[in-house]
Amino acid sequence: MNETAPAIRIETVGQDTVARDVKIDIRDLNFYYGKAPALKSVSFGVPSNAVTSIIGPSGCGKSTLLRTINRIFELYPEQRATGEIIIDGANVLDRGYSLSGLRRLVGMVFQKPTPFASSIRSNVGFALNYYDRLSKSELNDRIEDALRQAALWDEVKDKLSHSALSLSGGQQQRLCIARAIAVRPEVLLLDEATSALDPISTAKIEELIDELRERFTIVVVTHNMQQAARISQSTAFFHLGELIEFGNTSDVFTNPREQRTRDYITGRYG
Amino acid sequence: MQQGREHTLKAFDQDLDRLRALISQMGGLAEHAIGEAMRCLMQRDLDGADRIVQEDVKLDALEVETERQAVQLIALRAPMAGDLRDVVAALKISGVVERIGDYAKNIAKRVPLLENVGSIEPLSLLPEMARISTEMVHNVLDAFVERDADAAVRVCERDHAVDDFYDSIFRTLLTHMMENPQTIGQSAHLLFVAKNLERVGDHATNIAEMVYYAATGDHMADRIKNPVRGNQR
Repeated sequence: MNETAPAIRIETVGQDTVARDVKIDIRDLNFYYGKAPALKSVSFGVPSNAVTSIIGPSGCGKSTLLRTINRIFELYPEQRATGEIIIDGANVLDRGYSLSGLRRLVGMVFQKPTPFASSIRSNVGFALNYYDRLSKSELNDRIEDALRQAALWDEVKDKLSHSALSLSGGQQQRLCIARAIAVRPEVLLLDEATSALDPISTAKIEELIDELRERFTIVVVTHNMQQAARISQSTAFFHLGELIEFGNTSDVFTNPREQRTRDYITGRYG
Repeated sequence: MQQGREHTLKAFDQDLDRLRALISQMGGLAEHAIGEAMRCLMQRDLDGADRIVQEDVKLDALEVETERQAVQLIALRAPMAGDLRDVVAALKISGVVERIGDYAKNIAKRVPLLENVGSIEPLSLLPEMARISTEMVHNVLDAFVERDADAAVRVCERDHAVDDFYDSIFRTLLTHMMENPQTIGQSAHLLFVAKNLERVGDHATNIAEMVYYAATGDHMADRIKNPVRGNQR
Protein backbone atom coordinates (compact mmCIF):
# COMPACT_ATOMS: atom_id res chain seq x y z
CA MET A 1 0.00 0.00 0.00
CA ASN A 2 2.53 2.56 -1.09
CA GLU A 3 0.14 4.66 -3.11
CA THR A 4 0.55 8.32 -2.47
CA ALA A 5 -2.51 10.02 -1.08
CA PRO A 6 -4.44 12.02 -3.66
CA ALA A 7 -3.67 15.72 -3.41
CA ILE A 8 -6.48 17.68 -1.84
CA ARG A 9 -7.33 20.91 -3.56
CA ILE A 10 -9.08 23.50 -1.49
CA GLU A 11 -10.69 26.30 -3.41
CA THR A 12 -10.02 29.55 -1.63
CA VAL A 13 -13.22 31.51 -1.55
CA GLY A 14 -13.30 35.25 -1.07
CA GLN A 15 -9.72 35.85 -2.04
CA ASP A 16 -9.33 37.53 -5.32
CA THR A 17 -6.44 35.66 -6.84
CA VAL A 18 -7.32 36.62 -10.39
CA ALA A 19 -5.11 39.47 -11.50
CA ARG A 20 -7.45 42.11 -12.88
CA ASP A 21 -6.60 44.64 -15.53
CA VAL A 22 -6.13 48.16 -14.27
CA LYS A 23 -8.80 50.54 -15.57
CA ILE A 24 -7.76 53.73 -13.80
CA ASP A 25 -4.05 54.07 -13.18
CA ILE A 26 -3.46 56.79 -10.60
CA ARG A 27 0.15 57.92 -10.46
CA ASP A 28 1.69 60.29 -7.95
CA LEU A 29 -1.53 62.25 -7.61
CA ASN A 30 -1.43 65.40 -5.46
CA PHE A 31 -4.38 67.66 -4.85
CA TYR A 32 -4.54 71.10 -3.30
CA TYR A 33 -7.37 73.22 -1.95
CA GLY A 34 -5.53 76.53 -2.32
CA LYS A 35 -2.24 75.73 -0.59
CA ALA A 36 -3.62 72.98 1.63
CA PRO A 37 -2.74 69.53 0.30
CA ALA A 38 -5.68 67.10 0.33
CA LEU A 39 -4.06 64.19 -1.50
CA LYS A 40 -0.39 63.40 -1.10
CA SER A 41 1.40 61.43 -3.78
CA VAL A 42 -1.33 58.85 -4.24
CA SER A 43 -0.56 55.96 -6.59
CA PHE A 44 -2.63 52.86 -7.19
CA GLY A 45 -4.46 51.03 -9.94
CA VAL A 46 -8.26 50.74 -9.87
CA PRO A 47 -9.08 47.28 -11.23
CA SER A 48 -11.32 46.94 -14.25
CA ASN A 49 -14.88 45.55 -13.96
CA ALA A 50 -14.77 45.40 -10.19
CA VAL A 51 -15.94 47.49 -7.27
CA THR A 52 -13.22 49.39 -5.45
CA SER A 53 -14.18 51.01 -2.18
CA ILE A 54 -12.41 54.01 -0.73
CA ILE A 55 -12.61 54.16 3.05
CA GLY A 56 -11.14 56.42 5.69
CA PRO A 57 -12.07 58.98 8.32
CA SER A 58 -13.57 62.34 7.39
CA GLY A 59 -11.08 64.63 5.70
CA CYS A 60 -8.91 61.79 4.47
CA GLY A 61 -9.35 62.69 0.81
CA LYS A 62 -11.91 60.07 -0.27
CA SER A 63 -14.32 62.44 -1.97
CA THR A 64 -11.47 64.57 -3.26
CA LEU A 65 -10.16 61.54 -5.11
CA LEU A 66 -13.52 60.99 -6.85
CA ARG A 67 -13.76 64.70 -7.65
CA THR A 68 -10.34 64.46 -9.24
CA ILE A 69 -11.12 61.41 -11.37
CA ASN A 70 -13.94 63.22 -13.18
CA ARG A 71 -12.38 66.69 -12.83
CA ILE A 72 -15.38 68.28 -11.14
CA PHE A 73 -12.88 70.24 -9.06
CA GLU A 74 -12.04 72.41 -12.09
CA LEU A 75 -15.21 74.37 -11.42
CA TYR A 76 -13.27 75.96 -8.55
CA PRO A 77 -10.27 78.02 -9.64
CA GLU A 78 -8.28 77.67 -6.42
CA GLN A 79 -8.26 73.87 -6.60
CA ARG A 80 -5.64 71.99 -8.58
CA ALA A 81 -4.29 68.51 -9.11
CA THR A 82 -0.85 67.29 -10.16
CA GLY A 83 0.18 63.82 -11.26
CA GLU A 84 -1.59 61.49 -13.63
CA ILE A 85 -4.90 59.66 -13.83
CA ILE A 86 -4.61 57.35 -16.78
CA ILE A 87 -7.76 55.79 -18.20
CA ASP A 88 -7.38 53.69 -21.34
CA GLY A 89 -3.88 55.01 -21.94
CA ALA A 90 -4.66 58.73 -21.73
CA ASN A 91 -4.08 61.07 -18.81
CA VAL A 92 -7.47 62.61 -18.07
CA LEU A 93 -5.81 65.44 -16.13
CA ASP A 94 -4.13 66.69 -19.33
CA ARG A 95 -5.38 70.11 -20.32
CA GLY A 96 -6.03 68.77 -23.79
CA TYR A 97 -8.25 65.92 -22.58
CA SER A 98 -11.83 66.63 -23.59
CA LEU A 99 -13.99 67.32 -20.57
CA SER A 100 -17.17 66.20 -22.30
CA GLY A 101 -15.37 63.03 -23.38
CA LEU A 102 -14.38 62.45 -19.76
CA ARG A 103 -17.91 63.01 -18.50
CA ARG A 104 -19.13 60.46 -21.00
CA LEU A 105 -16.46 57.97 -19.86
CA VAL A 106 -16.97 58.58 -16.15
CA GLY A 107 -20.41 58.82 -14.53
CA MET A 108 -20.96 60.02 -11.00
CA VAL A 109 -23.67 59.65 -8.36
CA PHE A 110 -23.73 61.76 -5.22
CA GLN A 111 -24.79 61.31 -1.62
CA LYS A 112 -28.13 63.03 -1.99
CA PRO A 113 -30.27 62.05 -4.97
CA THR A 114 -30.08 64.86 -7.52
CA PRO A 115 -32.96 64.31 -9.95
CA PHE A 116 -33.82 67.17 -12.29
CA ALA A 117 -37.23 68.71 -11.66
CA SER A 118 -38.62 67.13 -14.80
CA SER A 119 -40.12 63.85 -15.89
CA ILE A 120 -38.51 60.50 -15.19
CA ARG A 121 -38.06 60.02 -18.91
CA SER A 122 -36.28 63.31 -19.49
CA ASN A 123 -34.03 62.77 -16.47
CA VAL A 124 -32.58 59.69 -18.11
CA GLY A 125 -32.76 60.99 -21.66
CA PHE A 126 -31.21 64.38 -20.94
CA ALA A 127 -27.57 63.48 -21.47
CA LEU A 128 -28.45 61.08 -24.28
CA ASN A 129 -29.89 63.97 -26.25
CA TYR A 130 -26.69 65.88 -25.59
CA TYR A 131 -24.26 63.17 -26.69
CA ASP A 132 -26.07 61.18 -29.32
CA ARG A 133 -28.39 61.94 -32.17
CA LEU A 134 -30.97 59.27 -31.59
CA SER A 135 -34.34 58.62 -33.17
CA LYS A 136 -37.28 58.72 -30.79
CA SER A 137 -37.54 54.94 -30.67
CA GLU A 138 -33.80 54.57 -30.15
CA LEU A 139 -33.99 57.11 -27.35
CA ASN A 140 -36.86 55.25 -25.70
CA ASP A 141 -34.93 52.00 -25.98
CA ARG A 142 -31.88 53.53 -24.36
CA ILE A 143 -34.00 55.02 -21.56
CA GLU A 144 -35.66 51.67 -20.90
CA ASP A 145 -32.31 49.93 -21.04
CA ALA A 146 -30.80 52.30 -18.48
CA LEU A 147 -33.81 52.05 -16.16
CA ARG A 148 -33.71 48.26 -16.38
CA GLN A 149 -30.00 48.19 -15.57
CA ALA A 150 -30.69 50.44 -12.60
CA ALA A 151 -33.39 47.98 -11.43
CA LEU A 152 -36.02 50.73 -11.59
CA TRP A 153 -37.91 49.90 -14.79
CA ASP A 154 -40.65 47.78 -13.23
CA GLU A 155 -41.42 50.49 -10.71
CA VAL A 156 -41.62 53.42 -13.14
CA LYS A 157 -42.53 51.98 -16.56
CA ASP A 158 -46.14 53.16 -16.26
CA LYS A 159 -45.30 56.67 -15.14
CA LEU A 160 -42.35 57.80 -17.20
CA SER A 161 -43.92 61.21 -17.71
CA HIS A 162 -44.38 61.76 -13.97
CA SER A 163 -42.05 64.10 -12.15
CA ALA A 164 -38.87 62.48 -10.89
CA LEU A 165 -39.44 64.30 -7.64
CA SER A 166 -42.50 62.11 -6.97
CA LEU A 167 -40.24 59.09 -6.51
CA SER A 168 -39.00 57.90 -3.12
CA GLY A 169 -35.43 58.66 -2.06
CA GLY A 170 -34.22 55.17 -2.96
CA GLN A 171 -35.97 55.34 -6.33
CA GLN A 172 -34.52 58.79 -6.98
CA GLN A 173 -31.03 57.46 -6.27
CA ARG A 174 -31.56 54.55 -8.66
CA LEU A 175 -32.84 57.08 -11.19
CA CYS A 176 -29.58 59.01 -10.78
CA ILE A 177 -27.68 55.76 -11.39
CA ALA A 178 -29.83 55.14 -14.48
CA ARG A 179 -29.06 58.67 -15.67
CA ALA A 180 -25.35 58.10 -15.10
CA ILE A 181 -25.24 54.79 -16.96
CA ALA A 182 -27.57 55.88 -19.80
CA VAL A 183 -24.66 57.42 -21.71
CA ARG A 184 -22.83 54.09 -21.36
CA PRO A 185 -19.82 55.21 -19.37
CA GLU A 186 -17.03 52.81 -18.47
CA VAL A 187 -16.40 54.10 -14.98
CA LEU A 188 -19.01 54.80 -12.33
CA LEU A 189 -18.15 56.88 -9.26
CA LEU A 190 -20.48 56.67 -6.26
CA ASP A 191 -19.92 59.15 -3.45
CA GLU A 192 -21.77 57.94 -0.34
CA ALA A 193 -24.58 56.96 -2.67
CA THR A 194 -26.59 55.10 -0.04
CA SER A 195 -25.89 57.06 3.13
CA ALA A 196 -29.19 58.97 2.90
CA LEU A 197 -31.25 55.85 2.21
CA ASP A 198 -33.11 53.33 4.36
CA PRO A 199 -31.73 49.77 4.68
CA ILE A 200 -34.03 48.28 2.03
CA SER A 201 -33.20 50.91 -0.59
CA THR A 202 -29.55 50.52 0.40
CA ALA A 203 -29.72 46.76 -0.14
CA LYS A 204 -31.29 47.29 -3.58
CA ILE A 205 -28.54 49.68 -4.59
CA GLU A 206 -25.87 47.33 -3.25
CA GLU A 207 -27.35 44.50 -5.29
CA LEU A 208 -27.44 46.83 -8.28
CA ILE A 209 -23.78 47.77 -7.82
CA ASP A 210 -22.87 44.10 -7.68
CA GLU A 211 -24.68 43.49 -10.98
CA LEU A 212 -23.26 46.57 -12.66
CA ARG A 213 -19.65 45.64 -11.99
CA GLU A 214 -19.74 43.21 -14.88
CA ARG A 215 -20.08 46.13 -17.26
CA PHE A 216 -18.48 49.02 -15.38
CA THR A 217 -15.49 49.84 -13.28
CA ILE A 218 -16.99 51.14 -10.07
CA VAL A 219 -15.39 53.27 -7.39
CA VAL A 220 -17.39 53.72 -4.19
CA VAL A 221 -16.68 56.15 -1.38
CA THR A 222 -18.35 55.07 1.83
CA HIS A 223 -18.24 55.66 5.55
CA ASN A 224 -20.03 52.38 6.05
CA MET A 225 -17.29 49.81 6.37
CA GLN A 226 -19.72 46.92 6.38
CA GLN A 227 -20.94 48.16 3.03
CA ALA A 228 -17.41 48.38 1.71
CA ALA A 229 -16.84 44.83 2.91
CA ARG A 230 -20.08 43.64 1.33
CA ILE A 231 -19.88 45.12 -2.12
CA SER A 232 -16.26 45.72 -3.09
CA GLN A 233 -13.49 43.45 -4.31
CA SER A 234 -10.70 45.92 -3.60
CA THR A 235 -10.40 48.42 -0.79
CA ALA A 236 -8.21 51.49 -0.44
CA PHE A 237 -7.77 53.03 3.00
CA PHE A 238 -6.91 56.73 3.10
CA HIS A 239 -5.77 58.77 6.06
CA LEU A 240 -4.95 62.49 6.00
CA GLY A 241 -4.61 62.53 2.23
CA GLU A 242 -2.31 59.52 2.06
CA LEU A 243 -3.10 56.10 0.67
CA ILE A 244 -2.24 53.86 3.61
CA GLU A 245 -3.25 50.50 2.25
CA PHE A 246 -4.73 49.09 -0.93
CA GLY A 247 -5.59 45.43 -1.41
CA ASN A 248 -8.22 42.75 -1.77
CA THR A 249 -11.23 43.61 0.37
CA SER A 250 -11.14 40.18 2.00
CA ASP A 251 -7.54 40.75 3.10
CA VAL A 252 -8.04 44.33 4.25
CA PHE A 253 -10.95 43.35 6.48
CA THR A 254 -9.53 40.14 7.93
CA ASN A 255 -5.81 40.79 8.03
CA PRO A 256 -4.78 44.36 7.20
CA ARG A 257 -1.07 45.01 6.86
CA GLU A 258 -0.89 48.50 8.31
CA GLN A 259 -1.47 49.47 11.93
CA ARG A 260 -3.52 52.56 10.94
CA THR A 261 -5.82 50.42 8.79
CA ARG A 262 -6.23 47.95 11.64
CA ASP A 263 -7.07 50.71 14.09
CA TYR A 264 -9.60 52.25 11.74
CA ILE A 265 -11.49 49.15 10.68
CA THR A 266 -11.58 47.68 14.18
CA GLY A 267 -12.92 50.93 15.64
CA ARG A 268 -9.79 52.07 17.46
CA TYR A 269 -9.27 55.22 15.44
CA GLY A 270 -8.70 58.49 17.31
CA MET B 1 3.33 41.41 23.52
CA GLN B 2 1.85 44.23 21.59
CA GLN B 3 -1.77 44.76 22.50
CA GLY B 4 -3.82 46.96 20.21
CA ARG B 5 -5.07 50.15 21.70
CA GLU B 6 -8.55 50.50 23.07
CA HIS B 7 -11.66 50.76 20.96
CA THR B 8 -13.30 54.14 20.69
CA LEU B 9 -16.43 52.38 21.94
CA LYS B 10 -15.36 51.05 25.34
CA ALA B 11 -18.22 48.57 25.65
CA PHE B 12 -16.65 46.73 22.69
CA ASP B 13 -13.46 46.18 24.71
CA GLN B 14 -15.52 45.00 27.66
CA ASP B 15 -17.31 42.45 25.48
CA LEU B 16 -14.02 41.11 24.12
CA ASP B 17 -12.52 41.00 27.63
CA ARG B 18 -15.53 39.08 28.88
CA LEU B 19 -15.12 36.54 26.11
CA ARG B 20 -11.43 36.09 26.93
CA ALA B 21 -12.28 35.78 30.63
CA LEU B 22 -14.78 33.01 29.83
CA ILE B 23 -12.12 31.07 27.91
CA SER B 24 -9.68 31.52 30.80
CA GLN B 25 -12.29 30.29 33.23
CA MET B 26 -13.02 27.24 31.07
CA GLY B 27 -9.30 26.53 30.78
CA GLY B 28 -8.88 26.76 34.54
CA LEU B 29 -11.71 24.28 35.08
CA ALA B 30 -10.42 21.83 32.47
CA GLU B 31 -6.89 22.02 33.81
CA HIS B 32 -8.14 21.44 37.35
CA ALA B 33 -10.32 18.54 36.22
CA ILE B 34 -7.41 16.71 34.56
CA GLY B 35 -5.18 17.29 37.59
CA GLU B 36 -7.89 16.13 39.99
CA ALA B 37 -8.71 13.09 37.88
CA MET B 38 -5.06 12.05 38.00
CA ARG B 39 -4.90 12.65 41.76
CA CYS B 40 -8.01 10.54 42.27
CA LEU B 41 -6.52 7.83 40.08
CA MET B 42 -3.27 7.76 42.02
CA GLN B 43 -4.94 7.98 45.46
CA ARG B 44 -7.92 5.75 44.56
CA ASP B 45 -10.27 8.58 45.59
CA LEU B 46 -13.65 7.35 44.32
CA ASP B 47 -15.67 10.23 45.79
CA GLY B 48 -13.34 12.77 44.21
CA ALA B 49 -13.65 10.99 40.87
CA ASP B 50 -17.42 11.11 41.13
CA ARG B 51 -17.28 14.86 41.81
CA ILE B 52 -15.21 15.40 38.65
CA VAL B 53 -17.85 13.60 36.58
CA GLN B 54 -20.59 15.73 38.18
CA GLU B 55 -18.74 19.00 37.70
CA ASP B 56 -18.23 18.55 33.96
CA VAL B 57 -21.62 20.20 33.42
CA LYS B 58 -20.01 23.51 34.42
CA LEU B 59 -17.73 23.33 31.40
CA ASP B 60 -20.66 22.47 29.16
CA ALA B 61 -22.56 25.48 30.48
CA LEU B 62 -19.59 27.78 29.97
CA GLU B 63 -19.19 26.56 26.41
CA VAL B 64 -22.82 27.43 25.71
CA GLU B 65 -22.31 30.85 27.30
CA THR B 66 -19.19 31.48 25.22
CA GLU B 67 -21.08 30.65 22.06
CA ARG B 68 -23.95 32.92 23.07
CA GLN B 69 -21.65 35.85 23.82
CA ALA B 70 -19.57 35.34 20.67
CA VAL B 71 -22.65 35.24 18.45
CA GLN B 72 -24.04 38.31 20.18
CA LEU B 73 -20.74 40.15 19.78
CA ILE B 74 -20.58 39.34 16.07
CA ALA B 75 -24.19 40.46 15.60
CA LEU B 76 -23.98 43.69 17.59
CA ARG B 77 -20.39 44.85 17.15
CA ALA B 78 -19.49 43.52 13.69
CA PRO B 79 -15.86 42.87 14.69
CA MET B 80 -13.19 43.21 12.02
CA ALA B 81 -9.64 41.99 11.41
CA GLY B 82 -7.89 40.94 14.65
CA ASP B 83 -11.08 41.38 16.68
CA LEU B 84 -12.97 39.06 14.34
CA ARG B 85 -10.18 36.49 14.41
CA ASP B 86 -10.22 36.66 18.22
CA VAL B 87 -13.95 36.04 18.43
CA VAL B 88 -13.83 33.14 15.97
CA ALA B 89 -10.87 31.68 17.88
CA ALA B 90 -12.78 31.99 21.17
CA LEU B 91 -15.71 30.11 19.64
CA LYS B 92 -13.50 27.29 18.43
CA ILE B 93 -11.32 27.15 21.54
CA SER B 94 -14.33 26.85 23.85
CA GLY B 95 -15.37 23.70 22.00
CA VAL B 96 -11.89 22.21 22.32
CA VAL B 97 -11.59 23.04 26.02
CA GLU B 98 -14.97 21.43 26.62
CA ARG B 99 -13.57 18.31 24.95
CA ILE B 100 -10.54 18.40 27.24
CA GLY B 101 -13.00 18.43 30.15
CA ASP B 102 -14.57 15.30 28.67
CA TYR B 103 -11.19 13.57 28.77
CA ALA B 104 -10.89 14.44 32.46
CA LYS B 105 -14.35 12.98 33.01
CA ASN B 106 -13.36 9.89 31.06
CA ILE B 107 -10.28 9.39 33.24
CA ALA B 108 -12.34 9.96 36.39
CA LYS B 109 -14.85 7.30 35.29
CA ARG B 110 -12.04 4.74 35.10
CA VAL B 111 -10.92 5.37 38.71
CA PRO B 112 -13.33 2.81 40.26
CA LEU B 113 -12.24 0.23 37.67
CA LEU B 114 -8.60 0.76 38.57
CA GLU B 115 -9.06 0.75 42.34
CA ASN B 116 -7.14 -2.48 42.84
CA VAL B 117 -4.44 -1.95 40.28
CA GLY B 118 -1.03 -2.93 41.62
CA SER B 119 2.04 -0.81 41.29
CA ILE B 120 3.01 -1.11 37.67
CA GLU B 121 5.56 1.08 36.01
CA PRO B 122 3.29 3.11 33.68
CA LEU B 123 1.29 4.29 36.65
CA SER B 124 4.28 6.28 37.82
CA LEU B 125 4.71 7.89 34.41
CA LEU B 126 1.10 9.06 34.05
CA PRO B 127 1.19 11.98 36.54
CA GLU B 128 4.18 13.55 34.81
CA MET B 129 2.53 13.10 31.44
CA ALA B 130 -0.62 14.73 32.83
CA ARG B 131 1.45 17.58 34.26
CA ILE B 132 3.01 18.40 30.89
CA SER B 133 -0.25 18.19 28.95
CA THR B 134 -2.21 20.34 31.41
CA GLU B 135 0.65 22.83 31.48
CA MET B 136 0.35 23.03 27.69
CA VAL B 137 -3.36 23.80 28.08
CA HIS B 138 -2.58 26.42 30.72
CA ASN B 139 0.12 28.09 28.63
CA VAL B 140 -1.83 28.08 25.39
CA LEU B 141 -4.83 29.75 27.00
CA ASP B 142 -2.53 32.35 28.54
CA ALA B 143 -1.17 32.87 25.04
CA PHE B 144 -4.73 33.41 23.77
CA VAL B 145 -5.53 36.00 26.43
CA GLU B 146 -2.20 37.76 25.79
CA ARG B 147 -2.43 37.32 22.00
CA ASP B 148 1.08 35.89 22.18
CA ALA B 149 1.92 33.98 18.97
CA ASP B 150 5.43 33.05 20.13
CA ALA B 151 4.08 31.43 23.28
CA ALA B 152 1.65 29.46 21.09
CA VAL B 153 4.56 28.17 19.00
CA ARG B 154 6.39 27.10 22.17
CA VAL B 155 3.34 25.09 23.25
CA CYS B 156 3.34 23.20 19.95
CA GLU B 157 6.98 22.37 20.37
CA ARG B 158 6.27 20.53 23.61
CA ASP B 159 3.69 18.16 22.16
CA HIS B 160 6.33 15.64 21.12
CA ALA B 161 7.24 15.17 24.81
CA VAL B 162 3.66 14.06 25.50
CA ASP B 163 3.76 11.79 22.45
CA ASP B 164 7.02 10.25 23.67
CA PHE B 165 5.42 9.56 27.05
CA TYR B 166 2.50 7.88 25.35
CA ASP B 167 4.75 5.69 23.18
CA SER B 168 6.75 4.67 26.22
CA ILE B 169 3.64 3.88 28.30
CA PHE B 170 2.09 1.99 25.39
CA ARG B 171 5.15 -0.26 25.05
CA THR B 172 5.46 -0.87 28.79
CA LEU B 173 1.77 -1.68 29.15
CA LEU B 174 1.90 -4.09 26.22
CA THR B 175 4.81 -5.91 27.82
CA HIS B 176 2.99 -5.87 31.14
CA MET B 177 -0.14 -7.36 29.58
CA MET B 178 1.83 -10.14 27.93
CA GLU B 179 3.58 -11.01 31.16
CA ASN B 180 0.45 -10.72 33.35
CA PRO B 181 -2.56 -11.71 31.27
CA GLN B 182 -4.83 -11.50 34.33
CA THR B 183 -4.35 -7.69 34.40
CA ILE B 184 -5.21 -7.09 30.76
CA GLY B 185 -8.48 -5.37 31.69
CA GLN B 186 -6.85 -2.91 34.05
CA SER B 187 -3.91 -2.34 31.72
CA ALA B 188 -6.30 -1.54 28.90
CA HIS B 189 -7.97 1.07 31.10
CA LEU B 190 -4.58 2.59 31.89
CA LEU B 191 -3.81 2.65 28.18
CA PHE B 192 -6.98 4.64 27.62
CA VAL B 193 -5.97 7.06 30.37
CA ALA B 194 -2.64 7.57 28.65
CA LYS B 195 -4.39 8.00 25.32
CA ASN B 196 -6.69 10.62 26.83
CA LEU B 197 -3.70 12.58 28.14
CA GLU B 198 -2.05 12.30 24.76
CA ARG B 199 -5.22 13.75 23.18
CA VAL B 200 -5.15 16.64 25.68
CA GLY B 201 -1.70 17.50 24.36
CA ASP B 202 -2.96 17.31 20.78
CA HIS B 203 -5.86 19.60 21.61
CA ALA B 204 -3.51 22.09 23.24
CA THR B 205 -1.54 22.06 19.98
CA ASN B 206 -4.73 22.68 18.00
CA ILE B 207 -5.60 25.60 20.25
CA ALA B 208 -2.06 26.93 19.74
CA GLU B 209 -2.68 27.00 16.00
CA MET B 210 -5.93 28.92 16.54
CA VAL B 211 -4.16 31.38 18.84
CA TYR B 212 -1.41 31.87 16.30
CA TYR B 213 -3.90 32.67 13.54
CA ALA B 214 -5.92 34.98 15.79
CA ALA B 215 -2.80 36.88 16.84
CA THR B 216 -1.06 37.14 13.47
CA GLY B 217 -3.61 36.53 10.72
CA ASP B 218 -1.27 33.89 9.31
CA HIS B 219 -1.55 30.14 9.65
CA MET B 220 1.15 28.44 11.66
CA ALA B 221 1.67 25.88 8.90
CA ASP B 222 2.72 28.73 6.58
CA ARG B 223 5.27 29.91 9.10
CA ILE B 224 7.93 27.64 7.69
CA LYS B 225 7.36 28.98 4.19
CA ASN B 226 7.09 32.64 5.13
CA PRO B 227 8.93 34.51 7.86
CA VAL B 228 6.72 35.64 10.75
CA ARG B 229 5.08 38.97 10.12
CA GLY B 230 4.94 39.76 13.80
CA ASN B 231 1.92 40.19 15.99
CA GLN B 232 -0.82 42.22 14.48
CA ARG B 233 -4.26 43.29 15.34
